[in-house]
Amino acid sequence: MTAARAAVRLAAVADPRPMVVEEDGRHLLAGGRCRPNGHVLNRPVPRCPRCRGEVAPARFGPDGAVWAVTVVHVPAREGDDVPYTLAYLDLDAGPRLLVRLDESLAPAHVGARVRLTASTPAGDPAAEVLA
Amino acid sequence: MTVCIWGVGTSSFGRQPDRLPAELAWEAVNEALEDAAVDGVDAAYVGTVFGAPGVAQRALWGVGITGIPIITVENACASGTTALHEAREAILAGRFERVLALGVEHISTLFEGPIAPEATDPEQASGLLLPALYALSASRHMADHGTTASDLAQVAVKNSTHGALNPRAQRRRAVTEEEVLASRPIAEPLTLFQCAGLSDAAAAAVLGPARRGERDIPIRASALRSGEAWDQDSEHVWGFDVVRATAGDAFEEAGLGPHDADVVELHDAFTIGELVTIEALGLAGEGEAAARVRAGELSLGGTQPVNPSGGLLSRGHPLGATGLAQVAELVWQLRGDAGDRQVEGARTALVETMGGGAAGLDGNGCVVAILGG
Repeated sequence: MTAARAAVRLAAVADPRPMVVEEDGRHLLAGGRCRPNGHVLNRPVPRCPRCRGEVAPARFGPDGAVWAVTVVHVPAREGDDVPYTLAYLDLDAGPRLLVRLDESLAPAHVGARVRLTASTPAGDPAAEVLA
Repeated sequence: MTVCIWGVGTSSFGRQPDRLPAELAWEAVNEALEDAAVDGVDAAYVGTVFGAPGVAQRALWGVGITGIPIITVENACASGTTALHEAREAILAGRFERVLALGVEHISTLFEGPIAPEATDPEQASGLLLPALYALSASRHMADHGTTASDLAQVAVKNSTHGALNPRAQRRRAVTEEEVLASRPIAEPLTLFQCAGLSDAAAAAVLGPARRGERDIPIRASALRSGEAWDQDSEHVWGFDVVRATAGDAFEEAGLGPHDADVVELHDAFTIGELVTIEALGLAGEGEAAARVRAGELSLGGTQPVNPSGGLLSRGHPLGATGLAQVAELVWQLRGDAGDRQVEGARTALVETMGGGAAGLDGNGCVVAILGG
């Protein structure tokens, strides 16, 4: 006789986060661009949220500017060290992207120039403020 | 046909881990039915965000409401007002006559601090808590309009002053700007006293066609939208456009404008949310909400009081119940039953609720309704 198994969640969910890839030493966002109207997207979804046009894969970055920034003092997930900096970046000619921001070269402010880096060990898209 | 609110009710608000969600709903539903002077309803729309499967049926069973259609809706923080909106639409369509709108939420047993991020959301999976999302709006609003930390704190000062007069509020102490700014940082520039407390509560309204008698409050207009795409091409901070568009629908239906509301309950889950919403509703120009707050125009005794209940910041924020708690406050205001926080002569009221959390969207849902008049 086998023991009954308790009902538990079976596995972690698939990772929904936008993906940053390394190409020729640069970190680029693997996003999308809709064919009919050129709307840029931070993830390659099947159809454009603005016009339902078909979406083709597109690379963006590595540079952009801070659209908004906050320093967070409460951990959101197991293992989050506080405080940490979150920002919305607008990549140059590209989409808005939420990132963990490294302020070791220069402090962040709205409009500050930034560059994508490798994602954090936890898998979050990341960028650093340029000096 | 005009659909009216016949009666309202709420439970107490606060962290109540030793009480079942059904018990909170019983308090709210019994008060609303008694207030409406009816013994039953033909259908129920129930808003909840984190409610367990069957939370509505389990709750209504204990107050003798069985066998009718029960429809549970989820629209983030606008779930309760979505239930109200859908209940009204169902009556207007001739589907039902008397309908219960109920919101119920029990979260003290689910979350210790902020609501945990949703693992399947592209931004929440990166740890974007709701206070951080609103903090990002604050960052941008400050850069665009020169809004200051003091401006944000003044919203908490105003709403806590109102909340101190509300016997049902979770937080019933007026706080000073110094206290607000000195409270624990959550997501800069937002401090703890600028974040609504998560609350266990239920709130309810009974709706039906106009009856003889003065106590029923007409719903003059109601609009529901979900957000459009929000991204680098959006003109405003998160949530502004969906509130503006939804309010536009409601004003058009009512034939009124933002300055026709004598009293307003709006979604102040965070202080910056109140400023952005005041501007999105057109109660102030863009970048001008803080000045109206500071001048006292939106306080009790001012020209257009906003959140006389204390708002979500003071009453507490039981997600799916919040919208109907706002509606209950406005019904009491329009009847002249709001006690120490009565807005004198209030005849027309506006309620706005919006909820979000889905990345890439300007809000999951927004309801604006206009009552009385």
